Amino acid sequence: MATKTLKSSKAIRRFAMVIDAKKCINCKACVVACKAENQVPLGVFRNWIDEEASGEYPNLRMSFDPEQCHHCADPSCVRVCPTGASWQRKDGIVLVNDDDCIGCKYCIIACPYNARYHNPETHTVGKCTFCSHRVDRGEVPACVETCPSKVRVFGDLHDPKSHLHQLLATRRYEVKNPQTGNGPQLYYLL
Amino acid sequence: MREPVWEFLIVNYLFLGGLSAGLYFASALATWIQEDGRSAYPRIARWGALLAPWPVSLGSALLILDLGKPFRFWKIFFHFRWRSPMSIGSWLLLAFTFLSIAYLWAWLDQEERYSLQARIPEKLRTRIPARVQRWLDLDASAWRRNLAMVGFPIAVGVGIYTGVLLGAVQARPFWNTNLVAQMFLFSALSSGTAALVVARLLDREPVELKEMRFLYSMDITLIVLELFIVLPYLIHGELSSLAVKQALAQVLGGPFTIVFWMLFMGVGLLLPLTIELFEFKPVILGKGTFHIQPRWALTAGGLVLFGGYMLRYIFVFAGQATGFR
Repeated sequence: MATKTLKSSKAIRRFAMVIDAKKCINCKACVVACKAENQVPLGVFRNWIDEEASGEYPNLRMSFDPEQCHHCADPSCVRVCPTGASWQRKDGIVLVNDDDCIGCKYCIIACPYNARYHNPETHTVGKCTFCSHRVDRGEVPACVETCPSKVRVFGDLHDPKSHLHQLLATRRYEVKNPQTGNGPQLYYLL
Repeated sequence: MREPVWEFLIVNYLFLGGLSAGLYFASALATWIQEDGRSAYPRIARWGALLAPWPVSLGSALLILDLGKPFRFWKIFFHFRWRSPMSIGSWLLLAFTFLSIAYLWAWLDQEERYSLQARIPEKLRTRIPARVQRWLDLDASAWRRNLAMVGFPIAVGVGIYTGVLLGAVQARPFWNTNLVAQMFLFSALSSGTAALVVARLLDREPVELKEMRFLYSMDITLIVLELFIVLPYLIHGELSSLAVKQALAQVLGGPFTIVFWMLFMGVGLLLPLTIELFEFKPVILGKGTFHIQPRWALTAGGLVLFGGYMLRYIFVFAGQATGFR
């Protein structure tokens, strides 16, 4: 019975990420891990951390927001791609097929989260892959594995047993800029 | 916001593509309007036909050059993505370019066609299959009106596509309104008309009054239509959601304010409109005689072209600086 549930949930997996930004200490280990894991060229990034300072001395507040591709449910980058190089796997991961990318940069412009970049070496478009090569081996993305303060939780939305599912069932969260209609799948805990 | 990824190559393409669409449209209209069984404004129609294919061809070349992988541009035509404006637009551009070349061929005289063919190297010319040669020898002038008719929707499509390309991106609130496509279309048709004013005045054959009447009434109409789009775009945007309001700040106090109000609205739209209205006053008021002062008309035409370019410059750069935060 247990294996059956696992199998059926595997068939309709939907990967997403929960981010508990309050735990973030801006160490940028996730940025470095991503660069190393995916051999991202100098000058461009697949993930980054937005810093925001607010308040007035001595009542100050500094917040850190880890950012990357939101692997949207209805990604505008995939819609605008003229060759279909931008595509989405059934499990929700948005990827770029490097062989079909002509480098028109339309997707870079169409992404509300500015998550894509023009790769200065290949002259095609690059982006976060949720480390799909690792995910397919049953591992978690490099940024998740490396995070020392456990900000990031990666998992299958459709698997009720996953930590991610349980967090979303019990905690309050928000997604960023849902008004663009993209259906972002990065959940920020409040 | 990061650096813009679309820059001057795209600005130039948007302008040139629109210019060709406008040239074809104005020329097709001049062909289509008949007087005593023949086209009423043959010189205008011919000039438009002779000029139309070139800006769009140059613009398409710039588009390809802007690609990160220019040698892969053909992939667009092997993966039809109907939800991507760029995919649809590429097919439109291709169809339009071929059509405008056919239209140019139809507007050449028989002699011009023969002399062009005579320039093909002997070795190649003798190898042209008889069936193709028969086509080339046909008197294409009879097709002018049909090509004009077929061209209307395609030219309008190319003109509007330049706006749709930007407008269909929901991530950029400066573009993502339902007025940008029309704004670019009217601007494109207006710059085509203005280019014909300039071409016709520089032509050896002196311009006729009725030709200028045709071009002026068309250009004045188009500029006024453009104003009717630009002003609601600003007003409606100011009354819209926060993201749109913040995006409009680019031209209302932000870095593009002076370029927008002085160079586009002032020098590129209102000034040529004033000149054209002033010149056209006798026709509008019905008193006095309509003269043409070539210097003024050339200035107005040049300014309209300049304004069209500024509009595209502002939209490409300001739009990319906007977003949802």
